[in-house]
Amino acid sequence: MPASRPEIKAPRPRLPLLNPSNNHTFIQPTKRINDGQDIANFLTSEAYHDIVTFLMQLNASMFPTVIPTPEGEKNHIQTWEAGTNAVVFSNTVLKLKVLLEDLEGIIAEAPPDQGPRRFGNISFRKWYQIVESRLPELLKRNLPAQVRSFHQDGQDETSPVIELESYLLGAFGSAQRLDYGTGHELSFLAFLGGIWKLNGFATTDPGVEERGIVLGVFVPYLSLVRRLIKTYSLEPAGSHGVWGLDDHSFIPYILGSAQLSPPITKLEELPSEGSLPGAPDPAAVVKALIVERERHRNLYFDAIGFIYDVKKGPFWEHSPILYDISGVPGGWAKINKGMIKMYNAEVLSKFPVVQHFPFGSLFQWQQDPHAMPPPVSAHISSQPARASPSSAQAGYASAREPVQEGTRAPWAQPTSMGRPPMAATAAPWSRHPDRTGLGTGSTHNRGIARDVDAQAQSSGDIVGTRAPWAK
Amino acid sequence: MSDLDRAIAQLRACRPIPEPQVRELCYKARELLIEEGNVVGVDAPVTVRIHTIPALRLALMNGLQICGDIHGQFHDLMELFRVGGDVPETNYLFMGDFVDRGFYSLESFLLLLCLKVRYPDRITLIRGNHESRQITTVYGFYDECLRKYGSANVWRYCCEVFDYLALGALVMGASNTLGTSTSTSTNESGTQLTEEEEIEIEILNSAGDVMSRIPRSMAASSDNHETVNSSPLSETSRGAPARSGPVGTGATSDSLGSVGNPGGAVLCVHGGLSPLVETVDKIRLLDRKQEVPHEGPMCDLLWSDPDEIEGWGLSPRGAGFLFGADIVKLFNHRNNLSLIARAHQLVMEGFKEMFDASIVTVWSAPNYCYRCGNVAAILELTEDGSNGGYIPRANGDVNRTGDLLGPVAAGGQISGPGRRYRVFEAAPQDSRGMPAKKPVADYFL
Repeated sequence: MPASRPEIKAPRPRLPLLNPSNNHTFIQPTKRINDGQDIANFLTSEAYHDIVTFLMQLNASMFPTVIPTPEGEKNHIQTWEAGTNAVVFSNTVLKLKVLLEDLEGIIAEAPPDQGPRRFGNISFRKWYQIVESRLPELLKRNLPAQVRSFHQDGQDETSPVIELESYLLGAFGSAQRLDYGTGHELSFLAFLGGIWKLNGFATTDPGVEERGIVLGVFVPYLSLVRRLIKTYSLEPAGSHGVWGLDDHSFIPYILGSAQLSPPITKLEELPSEGSLPGAPDPAAVVKALIVERERHRNLYFDAIGFIYDVKKGPFWEHSPILYDISGVPGGWAKINKGMIKMYNAEVLSKFPVVQHFPFGSLFQWQQDPHAMPPPVSAHISSQPARASPSSAQAGYASAREPVQEGTRAPWAQPTSMGRPPMAATAAPWSRHPDRTGLGTGSTHNRGIARDVDAQAQSSGDIVGTRAPWAK
Repeated sequence: MSDLDRAIAQLRACRPIPEPQVRELCYKARELLIEEGNVVGVDAPVTVRIHTIPALRLALMNGLQICGDIHGQFHDLMELFRVGGDVPETNYLFMGDFVDRGFYSLESFLLLLCLKVRYPDRITLIRGNHESRQITTVYGFYDECLRKYGSANVWRYCCEVFDYLALGALVMGASNTLGTSTSTSTNESGTQLTEEEEIEIEILNSAGDVMSRIPRSMAASSDNHETVNSSPLSETSRGAPARSGPVGTGATSDSLGSVGNPGGAVLCVHGGLSPLVETVDKIRLLDRKQEVPHEGPMCDLLWSDPDEIEGWGLSPRGAGFLFGADIVKLFNHRNNLSLIARAHQLVMEGFKEMFDASIVTVWSAPNYCYRCGNVAAILELTEDGSNGGYIPRANGDVNRTGDLLGPVAAGGQISGPGRRYRVFEAAPQDSRGMPAKKPVADYFL
């Protein structure tokens, strides 16, 4: 299993911790991505760097690990399945687990409305409102003290909790549109990353606490989200239909493929090919029985299993991208690598997904001085520009929240309810190089670029498709 | 067999046609569509009923079927044709959103386009908000074309056609009543009753059996026809015979008296109304041959939604508006319309009438996105057989504001046309074989 070409690499970076003895000013996070052009700024921002670093850190931790044994004996391979005893949850992880259980409990207080409806159930708004009103108390109870009181001398200073709350509240879908997508998932990642930066998680060897975060917090988060989706019929947020990876999620495909990749001895040596011995074949995603067996321990199959739960029809038809990926030669490590590239391109680089991500002091809009300049690519330039000011509409504004199911304009600005990130899981084909024509720049940014082959990062997109009015 | 017929046969088998053929088809379609106005005039065709020969009935049952969103659900589109009657025997009006989200946007749209070119008078296609370059790059059709052809050419050809699609249609001369049912199976003994009942709404299942039948007296008093029992035993206030006698015989009477027949026209549009469009004539004046703008009347017609509000409201979609009952009723009154038929919003029951049946949402994509669990519906209108089948037509112009003080002023609303909804479920899927895996995106190379 050792990598075919051992590389000398710097230790895998972990998201740096803030020093509690230094002054730190927290601020209410605000929306900064207002049109497609702002994506370029985002991709070179401190926030982007931190998000990617944190995600890569979690990803690496899920690779099976070779446990050295005395010479002559066969090495032990430790896998990191959901439910394994080998991962010990820290206090913070346990508390966050409780927090998620509390949020799940609120579903009982907001039973789905039985009246006539379109698709999304309006009772989700009630759930969301209750969560909103209880969140300060819940966070007070379930966040470590060192996080809540992170260097606060002045009483009237903005609390770090304000920033975390903003990300947590953005992690469960849009109460206005009754949808959920990868933008919300990203918001939860930022919530966890924020706690990490504030020294909220246990100090451990690389990978140890990260595994606790994935299996002890992220897995329960996914099951809460899936329950919300099913209970309130949350629709996919801005999806490419069958041509997106998944209607709602992305990160479980990254972490789940890591779980089935070849074992490693050191975190910095992630293989780019091969699979864990005995791992289920990627092609097994079309076999319901295997999916059923694997979903309880593996995040990838868990996500596939959820698709089977909610969709009726041939798998290759409603999930053609996942179907094709199931034929990738090169094993789970290859799939893992591809998923990371795809996440960068189809989630982090897509205006409809990240446009509502709020930036504060933990995830800063400020430019990362070490960032590579973003590529001037057709991909970025074809992002929708800001819609012309719809002042005409303002006059007609109605206060009530409409029940809505359907397509949103990709240029849509939030209407009334603050920060619901709109998500889109996108198809990979939109960046196929054969129609670039102009600007085949590459999205080499710090972080993901370390894990990504340069050659596959062509990012030309949709030449000639810019709408005539796009700026 | 002409090339076109061959293409139709191939597409009916759900196999895409070669790129050069798509190009030619799109060229022909544009030539055809450019001649259409922004608002296409469509006549509700005569429904011929031959009760004694049930086997012939289906073939002759050529009403006008008004259909909502399809979204690339090809097999369900085939089911729709099975339920509604085949082309060209049956006339169809599709209210847009042929593409995006589903797996077969390409096959679905190209088939409809082929049928349009082959039978221009039998098929009407109007534009939905998804028939746009920007939307198809976000919601899947673009990705699909690339995958199925390896280049964006076909997507580009299709988008050029999108720009020429009409923005709306006016159905003229629809009958106010369905008269007797065309159903054979269930109500044999009770046929006399239905003869005497002015049926305003009829709901059929995919086998053509009547699930529910609502006489005008009840439909008028209740907006929620789901609760209405299917046996219309209530006495109708009028004893006049149904006006569904043999066409051309003049054997029908206008039982509605002052709320006369023919009723107003039915406006079909994908989304809804616009604060910038007070009259149907305003729509005719738009320059439609362009990408759907982000705002303005053309955008609103394709993006707006009716909602339980007063006046206009901001749409959560970020384009178009929400509009309330007052807006619809005023618009219908001003334009001598009896009904607005629109699509654009998923309805779990397949169709939804709102605002005293002044507007209806028709949704034709069952189990939308493989997961919504909804049924689909199409709306059938038939031609009014009164006045010897003569329907005054002003070349699609119904903005006869001068007439408004007549029948409409009293009730404030023209009585709606007879509406037959055919409800159907997703097509069975067992027969679809698993294809070979396609090469993956370069992320995974």
